[in-house]
Amino acid sequence: MATTQATISLRSSDLIPSQVLSLTSSKRLLKAGSASEGVDHLDMGRVDIVTGTSFDLIDATALGLGKNNYIYIANKSTSESNFITISHVDRTIIMGRLYGGDFAFFPWSAHDAAHDIEVTAFNGTSTIEYAVFHEGKTLISAS
Amino acid sequence: MATKATFTLSSTGLVSDNMNFSTDATLTQAGGAVDIANTSGLARKTTASTAQYTLFKADEYTSDRSNKLYLKNTSSTAAEYFTVSIDDETIGRLYAGDWALIPWSATGGTPAAFSVTFASSWAENDTAVFDGVTITLGSTETTAAMVDLVVAAQYPNWTVVETSSTVATFTAKDSNDLSLIEEGAASDDYVVTTAGSGTGTVARTVAPVASANDIKITPGQSANTVEYMLFHE
Repeated sequence: MATTQATISLRSSDLIPSQVLSLTSSKRLLKAGSASEGVDHLDMGRVDIVTGTSFDLIDATALGLGKNNYIYIANKSTSESNFITISHVDRTIIMGRLYGGDFAFFPWSAHDAAHDIEVTAFNGTSTIEYAVFHEGKTLISAS
Repeated sequence: MATKATFTLSSTGLVSDNMNFSTDATLTQAGGAVDIANTSGLARKTTASTAQYTLFKADEYTSDRSNKLYLKNTSSTAAEYFTVSIDDETIGRLYAGDWALIPWSATGGTPAAFSVTFASSWAENDTAVFDGVTITLGSTETTAAMVDLVVAAQYPNWTVVETSSTVATFTAKDSNDLSLIEEGAASDDYVVTTAGSGTGTVARTVAPVASANDIKITPGQSANTVEYMLFHE
């Protein structure tokens, strides 16, 4: 049985000087609604995203629909001005920007076929690392 | 000290090798090394129904920057979740104990705007009524005096500026207000009452476009507590 633990720590002593921020959240990644069964599938990779084209980084698949999928994306670019946007529905919904050094971790319902996770690079090629922790996906038949 | 975010992931049994990795990020403003300086503060909201709630309105933040949003479902009941959406597009579900750190572009919409052109002869005690606010002209019986009073007032849902000595221009505070103000000199939305021949002619100047980037949550059950903190520019 897979046991996967995701932890975030947020720390700052000067963002709100009168209130030091020291927050930690840790969660075992479980299947949707389960109290004990961990997500048991994984896709991960490292890719260069060149500018000028939007790419589907992660395809929404029927087996992922409504499941507990978790996505981790980190922009490993060393240039702080290089950023990627994360979007879906053919870039009509732009979630936000990850600049060099930023990361994101969020749930993903693979809501329908239009809800692929798309990435687009700006100001230069960004190298990104990503992982999808999920409950299974629909494999595409070989032609 | 800047604001540091650290992500750590450990896993056994997911693949044949144990997995551990960690990423540190300093939350900076867009495109540079300047620390991010604004935050909503750490907050909690407990929902009372399964209706959709808006946590953050994109209109209120600078768009296309390096904003980050931390979210957590504080429930300890495994089946309890809330759905995170950017406007009406579902991102995913946060079940009990789940957390997320999401970049947010905060792309706002276009708020509606209209102008009111005041003309002809206004008299003392003439009125203009809009957005629940009544303007009453004093003893200076000029269109310029009327405009001065109109732009000096505070409106719940609109801002107003003086475009000229006879024209006031209103802009909606919320781009999601898509109602269209009736145009003309006899508008039912901007009502002028005059004992003289004064007119206030309404003309729509900007058509509203709703924000498609508000952060919303929809609880799967009535009572759900979400913890959140926005880091923004």
